[in-house]
Amino acid sequence: MTGDTGRTLSRQTAIVGIGATEFSKESGRSELQLSVEAARAALADCGLTPADVDGLTTFTMDTSSEIALARELGIPELRFFSRINYGGGAACATVQQAAMAVATGVADVVVCYRGFNERSGSRFGQFSVAAATQVNTNGLDNAWTYPMGLGTPAATVAMQARRYLHEYGATSEDFGRVAVADRRHAATNPNAFFYGKPITLEDHQASRMIAEPLHLLDCCQESDGAVALVVTSADRARDLPHPPAYVVAAAQGSGRDQFVMTSYYRDDIGIPEMGVVGRELWRQSGLGPDDMAMGVLYDHFTPYVLMQLEELGFCGPGEAKDFIADGAIEIGGRLPLNTHGGQLGEAYIHGMNGIAEGVRQVRGTSVNQVPDVQHLVVTAGTGVPTSGLVLGR
Amino acid sequence: MSRTIAVGDQLPTWELPLTPTTVVSTAIATRDFQDVHHDRDIAQAAGSKDIFVNILTSNALVEKYVTDWAGHGANLRGIAIRLGAPAYPYDTLSFTGTVAAVDDGVATIEVTGAVSLGAHVTGTVRIEVPA
Amino acid sequence: MSHPTSATAEPLVDPAVHEQVMAEAERIKALGEASERLARDPVNQPTISNWLEAMGNDNPRFRQGEAPPSMVQVWTMYGLGGKAPADDPLHAMMNVLTDTGFTAVLGTNCEQSYERYLRVGEQLRVTTALDSVVGPKKTAMGVGYFVTSRSTWYVDHEDGSAEQVASMLFRVLKFVPTRAVQPPVDPPEASVADAADGPDASRFVLRPMKNRDTEFFWEGTAAGELRVQRCNACGVLRHPPGPACPSCGALDRGHVAASGRGTVFSYVVHRHPPVPGRELPILLVLVDLDEGVRMVGELVDTEPTEVEIGMPVQVDFRRVDDDLTLPVWRRTGPAEGSRA
Repeated sequence: MTGDTGRTLSRQTAIVGIGATEFSKESGRSELQLSVEAARAALADCGLTPADVDGLTTFTMDTSSEIALARELGIPELRFFSRINYGGGAACATVQQAAMAVATGVADVVVCYRGFNERSGSRFGQFSVAAATQVNTNGLDNAWTYPMGLGTPAATVAMQARRYLHEYGATSEDFGRVAVADRRHAATNPNAFFYGKPITLEDHQASRMIAEPLHLLDCCQESDGAVALVVTSADRARDLPHPPAYVVAAAQGSGRDQFVMTSYYRDDIGIPEMGVVGRELWRQSGLGPDDMAMGVLYDHFTPYVLMQLEELGFCGPGEAKDFIADGAIEIGGRLPLNTHGGQLGEAYIHGMNGIAEGVRQVRGTSVNQVPDVQHLVVTAGTGVPTSGLVLGR
Repeated sequence: MSRTIAVGDQLPTWELPLTPTTVVSTAIATRDFQDVHHDRDIAQAAGSKDIFVNILTSNALVEKYVTDWAGHGANLRGIAIRLGAPAYPYDTLSFTGTVAAVDDGVATIEVTGAVSLGAHVTGTVRIEVPA
Repeated sequence: MSHPTSATAEPLVDPAVHEQVMAEAERIKALGEASERLARDPVNQPTISNWLEAMGNDNPRFRQGEAPPSMVQVWTMYGLGGKAPADDPLHAMMNVLTDTGFTAVLGTNCEQSYERYLRVGEQLRVTTALDSVVGPKKTAMGVGYFVTSRSTWYVDHEDGSAEQVASMLFRVLKFVPTRAVQPPVDPPEASVADAADGPDASRFVLRPMKNRDTEFFWEGTAAGELRVQRCNACGVLRHPPGPACPSCGALDRGHVAASGRGTVFSYVVHRHPPVPGRELPILLVLVDLDEGVRMVGELVDTEPTEVEIGMPVQVDFRRVDDDLTLPVWRRTGPAEGSRA
């Protein structure tokens, strides 16, 4: 399945601008306005204007169409627009779409965006009757779980998490170490929900049960906000104000017998789709896990961070609990993760805020800067068909 | 479809004679099956003089009063009412109203619906004023 | 007709009782938007027409696909014999106050906001939250607390988004009556619906989506059979079903009736957030059937502390109504190798 024709996406494009709104529990503005504000901020960050933009990508789930955003931004014409399905799994793939379009000359400057009132408006953490009554194959897939009473993100993850604990002898405290690391990083990030509010493992263990074995502090908070990213060619990137964050690799992945959040019918009910992403990232980049200075691993629920470390090859199956022990994933550790605080600590902007943190780490401007970042890995939503990036200097 | 609306405009009074049929038919049409709205024996046992108009109907009548005057094309944005004296059969519910404000395309109309015991509802209705 | 006055030097309410009331209010407020329910029916013309007739409203818009805005609450009324679910915050707060002696109730304020006019065919969903509890206040009716609830109506869209279409603040005075004979009161539904007996007709049922590839499964549960798709060409069993055999690609397929025996592969104790029409917690199991396929179902008649991976279970069937029978699971013994 590896391409050996010499064609490559690697390093042909870069993320040159990042922008975001504040992250809150009630933005008080429309979802479209949030995306407008984030896109303007991202363009201002790289010194470009709406007139420079000729492409837009977002999530299938986003309620603001590309044409609506183009109208509001005053983008005169669009040559390229596309959307990626499967919830948060789309995050890094919006950049992949942009990179492919720019690398092939289909577009010159592409803005990737995601904006929602996911706390004050439609809350993803609730039991979604709409998801179960879609008239399409996703609705049919959900017929095997929702009517039985299994239909919240936390509960669907808990089914995998329980099995993971059983298979590998891990404990809830191992999940808790992810939350502690994220919250430690968020505590020093003024843009984070949980700025100045670190937690201890005891806090995690004492938090109430949501869907056993998941405690409250294993779950991210629903958030309002928007993030936008600007992608352009490597050549053009070198003339812009910030050091480019090159797209060293960009991949999507879907596994065998794949479902959305409920891939329960394969022998191992983990997240092999992230293994697909990982193998492709290493192939495109010619790099490996040991080359990554840090990572931004999608963390809407803590168990998936452990599973991702294994799928991406940072450690073997079942070894993540040992890999993350002793502060290894905290700032100063062997592989700092989610230095912005992650979705557990900063905000849940469907993974797009994590890509922005990856860009800051490449630029050297993170509030929790890791020294000498040459390359890092960013991943998108887990439990669903997903995507990932390797960014680098 | 819609009239021009200005601050100080007075709405013409609307008088609605109430009968047991009014009270029962409106309660059922609002899917409110509480017995005090259709069973006089139970209403009296609970200390009431008779069955009485339910709140969903008070809102519905306020809507009708304002939109019959403003024009059926006028969009209703909200109804905020204080609840007062009960509205019994054989009483008359008299609505009066005044335009209190027109601001940013929205008119606020003060409405009172009175019965013989006093105000049944007092409150404000917000409607969009066509540009 | 209530006239709150400032508290006198004498406390109106025993401080211990007040503390209990306010603590319970904080607890219930923290539940947020709860008691989520779907309207019994989509917005529909017959119900609108009945309402127009009763109100004497002849606005022609409401014969042409739009629904009257002040009718919003009608769509989600509990109906005849309906009752508030146990997790309804207003209901819960009413019970707290009734239990502490504030037995009478009087509606005082109703504030509705309409984001837009509804259209025939739209399916409404409502949530209720406890907004505030203020008091104690001395009023003409007696000493009591003002309880304000907030109802929010949504329309869910296919892309998963929920659109808020209307909201309502509803305030009642819950009080200790000062008069022997009570004035007439118009209590909110939730405070009196307990009196209703019998089955809860408004109980929400989430129905599975079905098509030609999957309906045999649901016909099976209705007939008391747990059916598993079987490829007529190569004999491979498969769940969930689909049109093409994953092993040989054949489109020719039938099904077998499974033994209904299996073991727990994994499980979840769902405690939060609410699941429409269901009481929490829900025990959910992922079962490895003896036939070699896996499926999700509720584990019934078992305590959360009793479930464990490897535990043997047997299918049973829960008939919801004529259109839906759900497979559920019962434990038949301890997990293999455990000393339960």
